[in-house]
Parts: sequence; C-alpha cells; structure tokens
Amino acid sequence: MKRPDREEDGVTCSGITPCISHRTIHSAPLRLKHYDHMASRFLFLAVLLSLLTSCTKDITVDLPNYPDQLVVEGTIEPGTPPFVILTKTQSYFAPTDVNTLASIFVTGATVTVTTDGNVWTLDQICSNLLDSTSLAAAAEATGLSPSLLSAANICIYTSIDPTHVGVIGKTYRLDVSVDGKSLSAVSSIPNPVPLDSVWFKLAQQTPGDDTLGYAWARITDPDTLGNAYRWMAKRINHRANGQTMDDYYISPLGSTYDDKYINGLTFDFTENRGSEYYAGHPEDSNAEQGFFKVGDTIAVKALSIGKKEFDFYSTYDSNVGSLGDIFSTPANVKTNITGGLGIWAGRGVYLDTIICVP
Amino acid sequence: MSFRKLLAPLLFLIAFSAQAQRFTVSGFVTDSATGEALIGASVFIQELNKGVPTNNYGFYSVTLDQGDYTFIVRYIGYADLQRKVHLTADVKINLLLSTTVHVMKAVEVNGTKAESHLESTQMGNVDIDVTKLQALPALFGEVDILKTLQLLPGVQSNGEGNSGFYVRGGGPDQNLILLDEATVYNASHLFGFFSVFNADAVKNVELIKGGMPAYYGGRTSSVLDITMKDGNDKEFHGEGGIGLISSRFTLEGPIVKDKSSFIVSGRRTYIDAITKPFINSNGTFAGSGYYFYDLNAKANYRLSDKDRFFLSGYFGRDVFTLSGNQPGSPNFKIPWGNATVSGRWNHVYGPKLFMNATAVVSDYKFSFAGGQDQFGFKLMSGIRDYGLKLDFNQYPNIRNNVRYGFQYTYHIYTPSTVAVNSGSTDFNIDTPSKLNAHEAAVYIQDAFDVTDLFRINFGLRYSWFAQVGPYHEYLTDDAGNTVGTYDYPAGSIIAQYGGLEPRVSMRYTLDKNTSVKASVNRNLQYVHLASFSSIGLPTDTWIPSGKNVKPQEAWQYSVGWFRDLKQHTYEGSIELYYKSMANQIEYAEGATPQDGGNANYDAMLVFGKGWSYGAEFFLKRRMGRLTGWVGYTWSKTMRQFPAVDNDEPFPSRWDRRNDISVVAGYVLNERWTLGGTFVYSTGQATTLPVQRYFIENRLVSQYTQRNGFRMAPYNRLDIAATLKNKPTKQVTDKTTGDVSTVQRKYRSSWTFSIYNVYDRANPYFYYFDASSDSGTTGITVQAKQVSLFRILPSITWNFQF
Repeated sequence: MKRPDREEDGVTCSGITPCISHRTIHSAPLRLKHYDHMASRFLFLAVLLSLLTSCTKDITVDLPNYPDQLVVEGTIEPGTPPFVILTKTQSYFAPTDVNTLASIFVTGATVTVTTDGNVWTLDQICSNLLDSTSLAAAAEATGLSPSLLSAANICIYTSIDPTHVGVIGKTYRLDVSVDGKSLSAVSSIPNPVPLDSVWFKLAQQTPGDDTLGYAWARITDPDTLGNAYRWMAKRINHRANGQTMDDYYISPLGSTYDDKYINGLTFDFTENRGSEYYAGHPEDSNAEQGFFKVGDTIAVKALSIGKKEFDFYSTYDSNVGSLGDIFSTPANVKTNITGGLGIWAGRGVYLDTIICVP
Repeated sequence: MSFRKLLAPLLFLIAFSAQAQRFTVSGFVTDSATGEALIGASVFIQELNKGVPTNNYGFYSVTLDQGDYTFIVRYIGYADLQRKVHLTADVKINLLLSTTVHVMKAVEVNGTKAESHLESTQMGNVDIDVTKLQALPALFGEVDILKTLQLLPGVQSNGEGNSGFYVRGGGPDQNLILLDEATVYNASHLFGFFSVFNADAVKNVELIKGGMPAYYGGRTSSVLDITMKDGNDKEFHGEGGIGLISSRFTLEGPIVKDKSSFIVSGRRTYIDAITKPFINSNGTFAGSGYYFYDLNAKANYRLSDKDRFFLSGYFGRDVFTLSGNQPGSPNFKIPWGNATVSGRWNHVYGPKLFMNATAVVSDYKFSFAGGQDQFGFKLMSGIRDYGLKLDFNQYPNIRNNVRYGFQYTYHIYTPSTVAVNSGSTDFNIDTPSKLNAHEAAVYIQDAFDVTDLFRINFGLRYSWFAQVGPYHEYLTDDAGNTVGTYDYPAGSIIAQYGGLEPRVSMRYTLDKNTSVKASVNRNLQYVHLASFSSIGLPTDTWIPSGKNVKPQEAWQYSVGWFRDLKQHTYEGSIELYYKSMANQIEYAEGATPQDGGNANYDAMLVFGKGWSYGAEFFLKRRMGRLTGWVGYTWSKTMRQFPAVDNDEPFPSRWDRRNDISVVAGYVLNERWTLGGTFVYSTGQATTLPVQRYFIENRLVSQYTQRNGFRMAPYNRLDIAATLKNKPTKQVTDKTTGDVSTVQRKYRSSWTFSIYNVYDRANPYFYYFDASSDSGTTGITVQAKQVSLFRILPSITWNFQF
C-alpha cells in the first residue's frame, strides 16, 4: 500500500502513512471488534490522502535498559501433550539475526504440569536433534517457524509420555523454575464449542476478481455467559515446490471473541487469512494479502478458551495490531503467568476443513 | 449560612456607596458605520482619570457627581471620540465610533481594548482582533482563531496542524468554549486540523487562561468566549473568500434600518472534489468522500432603547462517506457535528442596571453507520444541553462594577451506543440509557476600586450538579461481573454534588507604567470528556459526574507583573501560576469504545490527579508599522493515577518545558502587508515500548512508563504576504469635472502564505516498526517518525463589498 511520492535522505513521503498501511487494514469484512478503529483509520487515511503530505523517516531512539523478564507460551489441548516455549524479553532494538533471536529461548528450566495431584515433568526437546520430518511436526505443534528451528538450536518443553495429554474439563497447573526464578499459572480446558458449518465465499472487493475470498463459519453460542473463542486456520494445500502453504495454524489478529454481545446466538462470521509472520510468502505482500483463494484447502481450528486466556489473546491481538497505530493507546498484554509474562492456555479444540471453491 | 456571610459586606459596600446624590450617564457604544455594538470599549472620564468598559452588548453606565465632564471613548482600530457632558440629571448617551481610515496595525492581539492591561484586575486574559487575522500565515490559507490562540504563552496545541488547545496544563475538555453564550462541545473539524469557527462571522474573541470571573463556570481550565457579529443595520455588505480547500461567504444587512439586522455566513470544504483524481477508482477508497460545512446565522431586533433581542445559531457537520463499487466493498457514512441556538433578551432596567437573559440549546452528535456483506454496524454518541441564563450588570457607582446572576442547564448525554448485526441476527448489545443531569449555579462578583491604586475583583459562585433518572444501572460484584440491574425512576437523583467556587483577583498600581496582580480561584467541573486516543477523535464522548465519577476540581494561584514601555508602544508581562487538579479521568489501559456495551458508562474509567506550574513571559508591540509579540513559557504538567505505572507521577501529554512563539506583522504600504510566525516547543511526551518478546512468532511490545519519552522538539516558521486593492479611487464628477478621491466599496485581497518555510519534518508521532523482508527469514526493527505537513504554499482570495 505504500506509494512513495518523493524520497530524500531516507524520508518517505506518501499519500498514505505507512504507520497505518503496514498493518493490514485491507477491508476484511466487518468483525466483532475494531469497528471504531476502522472508522477512524478510514477517515484519517482519507484525510491524509487528500493532503498528500505525510512523511515517515527512520530515527534512533535511546532506550533505557530494563531487566529481562521470562515469557511463557504454553498450551494444552485435548489429546495432545503440553507444549511450553520459554523465552526472555529483549531490549526492543536488540539485533535481529538468527543467533540473537535464538538466544531468547531459555534452556535448562524445570517445567512441570500438575493435574489431579499428578505431576508431569516436561522434557526439554531441542531442534538440533530433530530430522526434517520431525522439524515440520515440531513447527506445526509449536507454531515456531521451521526456518528458525532449523537455523538455530531451539529447545522447547513437552512430554513424550502418551498418558500426559490434555482432557476436556480438567485443570492444569504449570510451574517453571529456572535460574532461581519461579513462574506459575493455572488453566483449564473448556468444553469445545463446535462450528455449525464452515465455508468459503468470494470477497467481491476487486473488480474482475473471481478467486479471492474469506473463510466463513456459523456458530451457536451456548446460552451460559462466559464462553470465549479464538479462530486459527492454515492452508494445507501445497506450493509448486511441494511445501505446505502454511507451516502451522495461524490466528489472524482480531479473531479472539468473548460472548458478551453474542450470548446464546446463532450467527455467521467471517475471517480473513492470517499471515506467517516474517516468512516472506509472496501472497502476503501483494493483492492476495489477507485473502484465501479458490483452490486452497483450509484446516480450521476453532478454540474455546477461558476468561483469562481471552484477556491474554485479545490484548495480544491489539498489542501486535496497534504497533504504530496513532488511534490506539499503548497497552501491555495481560498475562495469567505469576512471576512472568505470556500465557498458559488450556484450549478446547474443534477441527474442520474448508475446500475453497467459488 | 456562610454564603450570606460572605455576601453581607459586599451588599453593604454597594448600599453605602450608592447613598451620595449623583447622576448616571449610560448608553451603548457602537460602530457608526455598521451599528455593531463594541465590546470592551473604554469610556474614560478625563476629569477623574478613570474609565469604565462597555459590557458584552456595548452597554456602559457611570455615576458621577453633578458637574462638567469630558468623556473620551476609545476602541482599538477606531478614532477616539471626545464628548463634553454637562451633568445635571440622569442621561442616556449612545456613543458612535468611526474606524480610522488607514489601519496600520496589521496584526493585533489586544489585551487592552478598554482598560489598559495595567488597570484591569484580570490576569491571563487575551482578546483577539479577528479582523487582523487574515494577514497571518495559516495552514492551507485557512484563517483559524484557535490556532492563533495557540501562539500565546500558556496555550498549547495538540500537535501538528491541530486546533485543539490546552491551557496551563489543563485537558481539552477543561476549556469552556462559548459561541454567543452557547457551549460548543467539539470545536474542531477533521481531527482538529480546522476549528469550527468561521472568522468572517465572528466579532470578538476573548480567552481567559486564569482568574476566571465568577460569571463563568463548569470548566476548570479556561474560557474562550466568542461573540458573533450582529450584522450591519445600516446597509448590505458581503464578504467571502476562495481558498485551496474551502470557500466562504457572508452576507449582512438591515432588516429594519437602525433597528434590526441579520448576518448569515457559510463555509464549505471541497477536499472531496480535489482528492478524487488521487483516489484509485478500483481501490479501497474508491467512492469515498469527505467534506465539512459551517453555517452561522444571527438576527437582532432593537425594540426600544431599553430592549433588544438576539437570535443566533450555528450548524456545522463533518461528513465522511464510503460507498464501494463492488458487492463486497464496505460502505459507511459518518456524520458528526455541533448545532447551537441561542436567544437573548437585553433589558435596561434603569441607568444602573442592565440585564441579559439567554436561552440556549447546544447539541453535539456523532454517528457511524456501516456495513459490509451481511454485516451491519452502528455507533453513536452525543450530548444535548438546554440552558437558561440570567445575568445582571449593576453599576452602583464609579468604584464598583457588580455582576450577578443565575445559570441552569439540563444535560442529556448519549453514551457510546453500539448495534451490530450479522444477517438477520442482532447482537445482544443493550442500548444504554441516556444520562440526564441538572447543572445550576448562582454567582456574584464585584470589581471594586478600593483606592485609586488598588482594585480587587471578588467573586463567588455556588454550583450544583445532579445526575437524575431514568437510568438503567448494571450492578456488579467485586470482580466486575454483572449480577443484576436497577432502574432509577425518572427525575430521581442518582448522585449530586455542589460547592463554592471563590474567585478573587486584585491589581495594585506601582506607577503609571507598572502594576502587579494576583489571583486565586477554585473551579468545579461536572462534565468530562473521555478520550480513547492521543489525538482528539469525534468518537470521544462527554459524560456526566455520577455515582463513581466525581467532579473535577482545580485551584489556580497566579501572580503577575505588567509593564508598558515607550508610551504604551510596548507592553510586557510576566505571570507565574500553579494549578492543582483533582478527579481527573482517563480510560483504563487498552479500553476501546466497543468494549463499553452492557455495562455502566463509567465502567472503563480510572481516576487520578494532576498539577501544573509555569512562568509566562510576553512582550508585545502594539503600535506602528511593525506589530506582534514574543511569548515564552516555561512549564511543567504532571498527572498521577493509581492505575497507571503503580501511582508514579508521569508527564501529561501537554507537558512542554519550553514554548516560544513569535508573531509579527508589517505594513509595507497601503497595498502590501507581511506576516510571519515562528514556534518552538519541547517535544511531546510519548509512550514507547522498551522491550520486545515473541508469541506465536509475532513481536509483542512491552511498555513500562507512561509518556516516558520525548519526541524531537517542534519548530516551524510560516510567512504570508497580503496584497490588497487600493483602498481609494479617483472619481470624476461628470458635471463639474472635479476629480475627488473616495473610499472603494469593493475591496479584495490575495494572501500568499507558506507553511513550514524551512520544510522541517516535525514529529507527529513515533512508532516502532517490525517487518520482514520479502523472501528472507528474520525481522527488521526500526523506530520511525511520522510528520504531517512539510512545506506547504497556499493562496487565498478574499473580497468584501
């Protein structure tokens, strides 16, 4: 969406501020959240378009040093073992080479999951021990980029004991101790709420286009208040080189909902396509960005989550999505981890598949 | 009762001084050519070396011993009028002033129309002469009253090109903006780039930064009192202008000559027409349109020397529409704007008592209706006021000028109201009940000359506010879960507050060129503007005080030193102030308007306090070919909220350590006038993340300190040149052949201006960008600065007939 009109000393002046355009505001169908933001952004863009005079330039900001904090990204779902990724915060402008990125992964931690009085001690599994098939599986299970897993030695915590798997309705306590620090969190796996149906529908937003569209679904929210959802999807068809289109389930930003306004209702909603961040897929930087396409096969993973998990994911969506957005006030992501940042989420799972035909 | 105790000495003084056998001269001061009442003109009695100002309707009254007097009437831009008065009985004298033929003052912000700034007790007070604004450079050539105010010490703008203003550390909702006595709730168009006030329709602008008189209330920071022109009651005139992005036209004239007149003024932008070629007809913004317009109208009727009626109205709307040409394109329409109507009745009860009664309706509305595919969405909010004001000006003797009265407003607030549907399914979002409130106040103030050197203006205001039913309240448990609801019956009081607001200011004259002043005042504010973003958005909603929202309270203390130099060619002042603010509100971190459904209107708010102090230096050249001023402000503004940064104090968005402004106008000759402004201010405080982490491969920002960073300093130079046609022309008398010079009836001018002459990229906001380069693994993290307006030339054509 950037349309530079003039460039000088690294200053880009354009009709549309990249600050707004770089985070997709491609017109995905109205969703439950962010309406006012959409309104404001459209307005602001229109104004800037008309004035044709906004400029962006790179600057240097000196940030003070703050002590690193531990970050947990842990999930447990029915029938699968817990996966825990343990990382540290970094200074915002720390280098971004693979080695530095790999250095945020914390190894040597003692990680346990406790349920019904049973304590499972999780094993540390490192990517340098995995072959390519296992790497792909690890990427799929953890949501970590396969290129990162193969480029550096990344360790995560899980269990290979077949009895250490999630069960609907159970509560799981996570404990992490490393370098004299202890973290803990509690989460339960809610009853999954199924989607009534899922389908693909053309977006009809670009003249002459008959291939791009959105994923649609119908859901019936149970009539007790307190349900919350998060949508994830991945394309499982293959690229010309044989690779799967998406390496893992992706949740597009803004696809976390609670039932505050939809309690007990049956209704249709729509989701755009989330992109694998930093993967550099061509369809993420052209007119297909955000759209599914005729020919795609979409694996849908609809998550049911609890209140604290909803708070985490919804504030996470806004934190990530509001990077560089003047319409939002900066807000930290809420966490359910005592002693650190991040999330320990029990998630109910409903799976479905969409074959994209016009 | 303490109120009565306080009043007793005041009433005694009035009664006492009224006993002597004297006569009263009273009347109106008006422009001889247009019939416009002149506000704040000085009626000076030479023999006593004392003057009185005219009030907002041009009325004056002086009570003097029997004898002979010389009255000198002064008003800036007008020739002095001298009049001998032989006083043997009460007498009515209407005084007509004529404009000076060649006005040499190109730029005039006037603190001393009536009384010299040395004489009045008023501090932090500025009048702006609207007629002179056109010579100043302006963004897109759009003359803007509010942006000119921002060039004064102690007044700050909210970022590039923004007409929002912040006075002495107060928030945007703490300015009382009155247009012909009606409150204007949202004074800007288009994200604040333009204010709603069309300068062509405005007669008088007064800004009070501190030492607010008791007459004004309901806001804690400042008063901006704007008076519309009455309209010429002698002959028809028109004026207008064509600019880069908008055009204006004003027509005024008599309805009944010398008795009744009207003025109608309109402005509309054509940004939409200009931008059309730049919008890709297949893109997201195809079919989008934006415009705003303003309409001011006013009429008045002079029934007799004693009675005069005014009816004035303002109507303005911003409209943004998007209607895509594809079946799946989003569509929406977003209109918002203000409307005000005020009716007034002036009555002169006698030579010493003037009354004004006002009835006002003020309305601000925002709505957004949109849809895409099978989804529909609506958002609306607003406020409507019905008000009555009764104001008396009493002039018992030349030492006292008393004002007292009563004000009442009924507020109806529409909090953010959301409706969403998917196909035929409507989401379960309650329509929140409207919020209703009474606000009332009584006040009395007296400007009293205790001695020839010492004047004290003491005022007292008692205000009261009550939120009343009907109100649908959600009852919540400690965790914030709704456990039930309660409906307050109509008219029942849900919460009420009240309080005394003492307002005292005083002046002591040191010598004929120097005086010192001091003031202290307490202000209560019962309405609040809760804002979701750092730039003012039309979605920001006004809310009343209620069960959990306490009224804002401010105490302000200030002292000042005022001096004239070189026979009043220059005037200078230094003012120091300290202000404390309690019960300030903000939305909780991360709150958004759509989160507010199915909950009380105050559920997402957090509360705290603030304080501000500073020193303001002002030096102005009032006369000569070169006029203008230099202002410098050193200030500090802090906020402290238990819910923000663990109760650590943090700098407010409006905290600017240094603020400099220079404004100059130069009259080159009778056709060319030059103008220039320069501003410098400390960078705006902003919140930036300091650490990052990754979840689901995406970069998450971790913030630590609210407003913990400073953007680069802001500075900018603007220049303008105005070319007028010749003010006079030669006329040859056909019969006699004599050639004479007469004033042209038709005047026109071109204003050429350049905004941001040295093309500085001033920071508008900072953000950190994380992006991945196509085809590679890994990310790039970069801090970026967005700037809005670089060098921008513009041209405006104005005409008058």
